[in-house]
Amino acid sequence: MRLEEISFRFDTAPTLAGVSLKVPAGAFVSILGPSGCGKTTLVKIVAGYLKPLAGCVFLHGTDITNAPPGKRNTGMVFQNLALFPHMSARGNVAFGLEARGLPSSEIHQRVEAMLDQVGLKPDERNRQPGNLSGGQQQRVALARALVIQPSLLMLDEPLSNLDSHLRDQMRGLIRQVQRDTGVTTMMVTHDPEEAMAMSDLIAVMNQGTIVEVGTGRDLYQSPRSAFVARFLGLANIVDGSVIGRRPGSSLLIRPECLVINGEGVSFAGIGKVINSEFFGADVLVTVVLGNTQVLVRGRPNIMPQPGTEVRVSAMPGTIHELPADGES
Amino acid sequence: MTLLRASIAILLPALLLVVGGTAAGAILTVRMSLHAPGAGAGLFEPGSVSLSSWASMGDAHHRGIVLTTILTGLVVSLLSTAIGALLALLAAPFAGLRFMGIMVLILAPRLSGVLASLFGLQRLLPRGWIGSLIAETWLLVPYSTLILVIALRSIDPHLVPAARGLGASRWQVLRWIIWPLSLPAVALTLQLGWVWGLGAFLGPLFLGGPDQSTLAVEIHHEAFDLGRWPRAAAEGVVLMVLTASAMAAGSWRPRP
Repeated sequence: MRLEEISFRFDTAPTLAGVSLKVPAGAFVSILGPSGCGKTTLVKIVAGYLKPLAGCVFLHGTDITNAPPGKRNTGMVFQNLALFPHMSARGNVAFGLEARGLPSSEIHQRVEAMLDQVGLKPDERNRQPGNLSGGQQQRVALARALVIQPSLLMLDEPLSNLDSHLRDQMRGLIRQVQRDTGVTTMMVTHDPEEAMAMSDLIAVMNQGTIVEVGTGRDLYQSPRSAFVARFLGLANIVDGSVIGRRPGSSLLIRPECLVINGEGVSFAGIGKVINSEFFGADVLVTVVLGNTQVLVRGRPNIMPQPGTEVRVSAMPGTIHELPADGES
Repeated sequence: MTLLRASIAILLPALLLVVGGTAAGAILTVRMSLHAPGAGAGLFEPGSVSLSSWASMGDAHHRGIVLTTILTGLVVSLLSTAIGALLALLAAPFAGLRFMGIMVLILAPRLSGVLASLFGLQRLLPRGWIGSLIAETWLLVPYSTLILVIALRSIDPHLVPAARGLGASRWQVLRWIIWPLSLPAVALTLQLGWVWGLGAFLGPLFLGGPDQSTLAVEIHHEAFDLGRWPRAAAEGVVLMVLTASAMAAGSWRPRP
């Protein structure tokens, strides 16, 4: 799937400004960004529900910019799932195949196979969406989008309405089904952890443009801008530069790369703890080092109290220099 | 439970008024239909009960009126629902000022008085059953449209794009998504049209011909032109039975 210079505006405010993106066949790519950055608009353009002001959408080398949604062979899972409330789970999944006029024996076979694949139990298949749990509805929506064997699967914030336990389950299921089917997938999310856990590639959007594309690991550890660094997780961004390079840039140190009273060598300082928060698996400690506040993520058994003095050091090789022209 | 009791207590006066008022009117009409012609004004006088007004209810004249009334109910119901559905499909996709503008146009007939509308229609339409049907439909369509527009707009707006994205044509979307989801509202407008059409009075009075009288017009004629109140009441009872049957039929739902 390839996007070339896609532009769009609602009323007078530009929503997308020259967005280009290339997604390799079979890849799982996440469009990650804050609310209002244009990510859902982008997906709607790819799905054919909105027409761009400029630019082109290519799927398998074919320009589908002006093709209607039903002729693009794309599947979409909407944020609210948009299951047909008067149809059973089976009816929902069969819908796209019936619309294509396939023989009923083939429809039956493909629907049952797809429902098996997403793990919907046989006794749940005749229930209407209102009588299914959130997770079961999610499985039906996924099966409905996949059963038509789309060239591109689009997921618009598919996990945003689920509780955290179910979200973890569904995250695994979506990724597994995507790997099994090999369908190229584009997911919209504002949750960086979700994007990093599920995606081969992440395109980070801000104010209608894609600011950076890369793997989750690259974007997290070596972002090219302070915006991406901050959006993907907690970040300490301090003024400074690597010895031997030009001055005036910023350094990124993730909180988990700092150690309190440890043996790190790259960076060290004595500071005063001003806050400690317990999160179960870890603690987050705020330390004032000179004029700078830094966050340190540590083990839960070491939880310095506010007011105590601690030595903060960085683990070797964990400091990343942000390019000088990146937004700070 | 406390909330239920409180709700009943609040609703009780209105419920008593509606049930009591309807029951009293119905009982009085039935009693009047059994009043012997020439027995004087007292309904409770001995010897004032008679079935003579009912004797003519089965004659060809009345059978024709009942048939016209039933046909008027059916045709007005079907026509107003069909036109209302088309107008609702036209209006529902719009939003904001455009939607308001379209709704004002649709509801405009109800902004002018019924009589003013009918005087106008009298000049435009042919006199006879067709004219009275068009007039009654004209009066009812804004209500039908309003019910159907609300029903269409309450359908999740993502369902149509979802169906279109799965490859459904416009016709398939209408048949498989919009139609079944708006069916309860369609049933309601059919029922409303059916009951409205059975009681059709002004349309047939202003535009109907002498041979296409409905029960409501006939009741008016018997009571106010001929002064035969027991006969008018007997026709009223027939109309009540028809209307109640229509309401019961419209309210019936198959067991899930």
